Amino acid sequence: MSQITIALSKGRIFEETTPLLEAAGIVPLEAPESSRKLILPTNRDDVRLIIVRATDVPTYVQNGAADLGIAGKDVLYEHDGSGLYQPLDLKIAKCKMMVAVREGFDYFGSVRSGARLKVATKYVKTAREHFANKGMHVDLIKLYGSMELAPLVGLADAIVDLVSTGGTLRANHLVAVEDVMPISSRLVVNQASLKLKHAKIQPIIDSFAAVVAQQD
Amino acid sequence: MELLRRQLLDLFHTHGYRYVIPPMLEYVESLTTGVGHDLDLLTFKVVDQISGRLMGVRSDITPQAARIDAHLLNQQGVTRLCYAGSVLRAQPSGTAQTREPLQIGAELFGHAGIESDLEVQQLLVHALQAAGIAKPHLDFSHVAIFRALVESASIAPQLESELFQALQAKDASTLSELTKSLQASIRAALMALPTLYGDARVLDTAAEQLPSIPQIQNALGELKQVAQQFLAPDVEVSFDLAELRGYHYHSGMVFAAYAEGYSSALAQGGRYDEVGQVFGRSRPATGFSMDMRALVNALPPASGNKGILAPLTEDVELRSKIKSLRAQGEIVVVELPGHEQHRAELDCDRVLVKNDKGWEILPAA
Repeated sequence: MSQITIALSKGRIFEETTPLLEAAGIVPLEAPESSRKLILPTNRDDVRLIIVRATDVPTYVQNGAADLGIAGKDVLYEHDGSGLYQPLDLKIAKCKMMVAVREGFDYFGSVRSGARLKVATKYVKTAREHFANKGMHVDLIKLYGSMELAPLVGLADAIVDLVSTGGTLRANHLVAVEDVMPISSRLVVNQASLKLKHAKIQPIIDSFAAVVAQQD
Repeated sequence: MELLRRQLLDLFHTHGYRYVIPPMLEYVESLTTGVGHDLDLLTFKVVDQISGRLMGVRSDITPQAARIDAHLLNQQGVTRLCYAGSVLRAQPSGTAQTREPLQIGAELFGHAGIESDLEVQQLLVHALQAAGIAKPHLDFSHVAIFRALVESASIAPQLESELFQALQAKDASTLSELTKSLQASIRAALMALPTLYGDARVLDTAAEQLPSIPQIQNALGELKQVAQQFLAPDVEVSFDLAELRGYHYHSGMVFAAYAEGYSSALAQGGRYDEVGQVFGRSRPATGFSMDMRALVNALPPASGNKGILAPLTEDVELRSKIKSLRAQGEIVVVELPGHEQHRAELDCDRVLVKNDKGWEILPAA
């Protein structure tokens, strides 16, 4: 019968998803870190995993190239998440989206005086909405990585980025000054798949939900 | 695709649906009032050089059909209309989606009962089967359920729209955040909605989990009738009570069709009773529409009949032979002089050849 494809990204999300998959009776036959394959078979003939970049997970699922996927809320928010079901907060890969500035920079003072800040970020949409809701006028600079560098070399006054332990910020003499939103990974489901392959997908969702509920 | 378009329109025709050709360009107000409220951002706009007013290129034909019914036809009884034409979307509805869908659909005005809903749903199933989709999958919902919950708890429009978005995504965690301030029974009902999907059994679960507001019980009753109607093995039926497609103008049962091989809904429709009101006449209405381009994409390419190649001569016998072949529905292509070396492009698998018995059809060399 029909096959179920699950889209995952390498690294933290894959590691923290493995126990969830095991609870649903799905065990990958190869590890993505050692294998160069992008399609990983599992112990179940009708389930396979595909390894894609985290930011691509919603695209694969939305277009039906994968039935299920696991993606951070940061990614889903930027992607606009429409056309996807997000039935479950898996509460894994938790971190925070935050505004950070150079040590000694008076962020709140600048906000009060209405200064027009330059903000570097990978998450343009999220940042734009955050500052618009605060009524702040900012110039956004889109970067693809190493955001922490931008305030140090004068490219930007502030950054919007994910912070989990704060180690990278400290090492670069930055301080987090404001929360944007809490982030964790969500299960996303293609809308047509949930209707057409309901009998196969529902048990997977249910067993994920059971594991998440246990951890609470 | 043209063949399919004709096939579907013929099918609608035999069901008594009259074909209408609404204008491509209209004043923006006509396109976006009432049913078209969601369409404002989707509509391409130009300034009319004669009146100085803003005009829009239609992004959906349904409201145009509603206006034709309310305003032009003025019938008191039931009006059945169908249409097919291009619409333009200022924004594509998703990645790799066309901005010029070829919309085809049928609408039924003037009957408020569930019988007319069933009629258009049956028609949709026939249409999909005619298009070659062996086992269409219909997914039903009812916007009155969410609307009744919103009204009974007097939820503010801002929160209503946030709840709506969370429900569309079945985003339980956001929903739980949003409903914190609401009374317990409404909160429980809203939290239950995203879990109420699947086969007809969810309707029983829903009857237990949702508050017994009359509108909700009515809605569930209607959905149950649908469940009984489509028992046939050639259609699969499911329910999804958090699906609120077109919530802003739909008023009753809504549905969408899915099929193996398509990653999103193929066709969608539902009841939109109050829409005619802004055009001067409130008429009950229900119908469906689909994008033929999306439909055709996943169908096997049409294996149309190949043609017959005929030489260009003054022979009267050949002319009458060609005429009779064409009358039988055969494609006969006459080869123009100087193009013998491009014969393959004409897509003919047979040729007309003269021998002692007269003109005969032989397989192409």
